Amino acid sequence: MDQEIVLLQNYLTVGALLFGIGMIGFLSRRNMIVMFLSAEMMLQGVSLSLVAWGRFHNDFGGQMLVIFIIAVAACEAAIALALVLMLFRRRGSLDVAVWHALRESNLPEFVDHELPGEPAEEPVAWPALPKAGLLPEVPPEETEYRPHV
Amino acid sequence: MSGQLETYVLVLATLLGAAGMWLMLPRARPRGRMAGVALGAIGLGLLASRLPWLSDWTAGGLFVILAGVTVIAAAATVTMRNPVYSAIWFGLTLLGTAGLFLFTGAQFLAVATVVVYAGAILVTFLFVLMLAQPEGRAPYDRTSWEALISAATGAVLVGVLSMTVARTATQLAEADVPVTVDQRNDNVLADEHVAHIGTELFGRHLIAIEVAGTLLLAALVGAAVIVGQTGGPLEGPTSDQPGSDTKIP
Repeated sequence: MDQEIVLLQNYLTVGALLFGIGMIGFLSRRNMIVMFLSAEMMLQGVSLSLVAWGRFHNDFGGQMLVIFIIAVAACEAAIALALVLMLFRRRGSLDVAVWHALRESNLPEFVDHELPGEPAEEPVAWPALPKAGLLPEVPPEETEYRPHV
Repeated sequence: MSGQLETYVLVLATLLGAAGMWLMLPRARPRGRMAGVALGAIGLGLLASRLPWLSDWTAGGLFVILAGVTVIAAAATVTMRNPVYSAIWFGLTLLGTAGLFLFTGAQFLAVATVVVYAGAILVTFLFVLMLAQPEGRAPYDRTSWEALISAATGAVLVGVLSMTVARTATQLAEADVPVTVDQRNDNVLADEHVAHIGTELFGRHLIAIEVAGTLLLAALVGAAVIVGQTGGPLEGPTSDQPGSDTKIP
């Protein structure tokens, strides 16, 4: 098989995988920011496919489209994150279920299932510096103009 | 006969992948996440085993590594319960995508992906996450909407797409499209890549690039306006009972 066709098939499959995984994330996650990350991932999958097709047809059109995708993704991220921030300011939560009042009127009300008790948080062993050395002596004039020493 | 076998293997791979994604997605009672990882890995391996291999084995190995990093990081992005980890795994996905761009000869796009996506957009995501992340682990990060159905939807999409792609590739190989390497060397894979990109961008796509610039400006102004307005009164977190408050502010 021609190498270019092999490359095209591999790239299209990876692009489909990225798109599918992003779609799963967008459909199933409830955190608004993770949903937008998933949407960006779907864009990445499409970009891979476009670049692969552009190489196959020996044309820069695919890469041009990806450049415009990057520009539009930047716009989308700016607007979406501004909206997310505003929504968070209103309700204090990133959960999309908080906004279920915006649903269609004939849909049932969302009821959050009871979560099982959170597993006890294990104490995290943060790295700590060993106690060593002496407390440095601070000249008295330095304490006068520094708030914290 | 061989085509039928291909179809069965693809269906099996997507089913395994869907089961793995379902087990890995955050659910109220997380059980069998490791089994999900194993199932997803098996599905991915089956899918990869059906793909044709590049004849140059170093190039093939490089492609497999890059694609594997990209896809595994994508799955981790979707399934992580901590959104900060999701963002960091997404950064790894972007790096993998940039590597794939470079692998296929799109050097400018690789650099642009790293600079614009990983450098700017991802940092903005992390910034908003840090700004808006409530204390402790949020309950809505530990559940998902209909994890099984969405995993099945994604699997059906991936299965149908990869099957179509495989069929199209077979048809293209049989049709023997006249594409030669010499022909490529003067365009997409040319030496002066950025010069060619610039010629194309400011030649054929001049109006589009101007419109895109205007769009960027308008989006940034709009974002500033949206964030700058003082909205309704601040309300406490209502994430515990989303059903309790139904009036729209």
